[in-house]
Amino acid sequence: MQAFEYARPTTTEETIKLLNGAKGDTQVLAGGTDLVSLMKDGISKPARVVSLQHVKELRGITFTAAKGLRLGATATFEEVMENADVRKHYPAIVQAIEGVTSPQIRNTGTVGGDLCQRPRCWYYRAGFGLLATQNGKALVPDGDNRYHAILGNSGPAYFVSPSSLAPILMALDARVKLHGPQGPRELAVQDFFVSPKSEQESEHALEAGEILTEVLVPPPSNVKMAVYEVRQREALDWPLAAAAVVLHMDGGSVKSARVVLGHVAPTPWPSPEAEAPLAGQAISEEVAWSAGKAALAKATPLSKNSYKVQLARVAVKRALLRAAKGEA
Amino acid sequence: MGGVQIADVSVDTETGQVKINKMVAAQDCGLIIDMKTAESQCYGALIMGITYALFEEKIMDRTTGRMLNNNMEFYKLAGIGDIGELVVHMMTGPGYDERGTIGLGEPPVISPGAAISNAVANAIGVRVPTLPLTPDKVLAALEKGGAA
Repeated sequence: MQAFEYARPTTTEETIKLLNGAKGDTQVLAGGTDLVSLMKDGISKPARVVSLQHVKELRGITFTAAKGLRLGATATFEEVMENADVRKHYPAIVQAIEGVTSPQIRNTGTVGGDLCQRPRCWYYRAGFGLLATQNGKALVPDGDNRYHAILGNSGPAYFVSPSSLAPILMALDARVKLHGPQGPRELAVQDFFVSPKSEQESEHALEAGEILTEVLVPPPSNVKMAVYEVRQREALDWPLAAAAVVLHMDGGSVKSARVVLGHVAPTPWPSPEAEAPLAGQAISEEVAWSAGKAALAKATPLSKNSYKVQLARVAVKRALLRAAKGEA
Repeated sequence: MGGVQIADVSVDTETGQVKINKMVAAQDCGLIIDMKTAESQCYGALIMGITYALFEEKIMDRTTGRMLNNNMEFYKLAGIGDIGELVVHMMTGPGYDERGTIGLGEPPVISPGAAISNAVANAIGVRVPTLPLTPDKVLAALEKGGAA
């Protein structure tokens, strides 16, 4: 790890100034669970690290029936999952966090960090760039791609979005607030994630010097929701596939549904193919399985990851069944 | 020296995930000087055995020649939730003690792979031919004709 300047601002404005005033790369530090490993691996070499730990306005969790949920960017996983309003109104957010099976990471990892963390692609982490190339040739299609994308993988990005929270936030139609040199702006979570087309781009819609300040989740009304992850281990492990579902109910049947897959594409992957046939149905094993199959009908697995297609189908099915069993 | 190990596993036939419910090791190593140390050696062997049977794999990249999982993130090891209930029984008494001390470094780590593979084959009706028993391999075996 190379030496860097460490800044500890107390307001958002001060943070933005510090991010833009440095010579060379600057990085934002929240929980540090991702940034520190990137720095240790020499993938990120910031000249200045700006800590958000002392910026009070970035913390906190508030809920009102009218406005819904506000998650501060530096609210930790543990704070979110222990929050009574989150547990009552957004049980699937708790389920998503339960998938992070390390208490240490839940205690330090933050909401903003989860959304802004970099992909776990082992070529990227070994220094071959976000698009994993050597001498201009993509390494993933002919390499070991067992954990790579099965959807949206026509290139140049083949990694999978690592976020635990993004699929369920997207299914809940959440928005993120960003703040940069041009002031604050708001984006749908869906628009926050992009599949980079060149090595100069990133997988987030953040402009230079911009930070994520909060997440806004609309109030749920008459919905059932769930998240299901397929992981190999009980111990801390990245999901092989995940699904988040939000069912807007009309009595015992689904009025409309949102289905978003995780860990299968360079961005969290909304699946209108799975959503459409759910309308008007009561969730049964059969209905849930056909939604799972529909979600993956257009999957294009690489040489070593066709098994992920089956795992993603099962994730959709089990998320739907889990949601149907839960309270409205 | 002799020993027997038995594995009780569950296989999720939709996802290929293998879960250890319980493992039992009965182990002989002649005269045991310190029971706690001997038992601990066997517990460790069971845990490392479960780890190599289900997770451990050195993944090399053919193009770059690099090891891709040279970290604790993708060089997967079992955690406490992955090992199930472990039972160790050391063979002692007449017939064992008079044979004197024998080493216990490696013997108990030899059997877990076979015991777990056999248990998986017994559960799904088809063999998964190579370790580790990862979801992709278990699903491929099931597709070939397992009786779920």
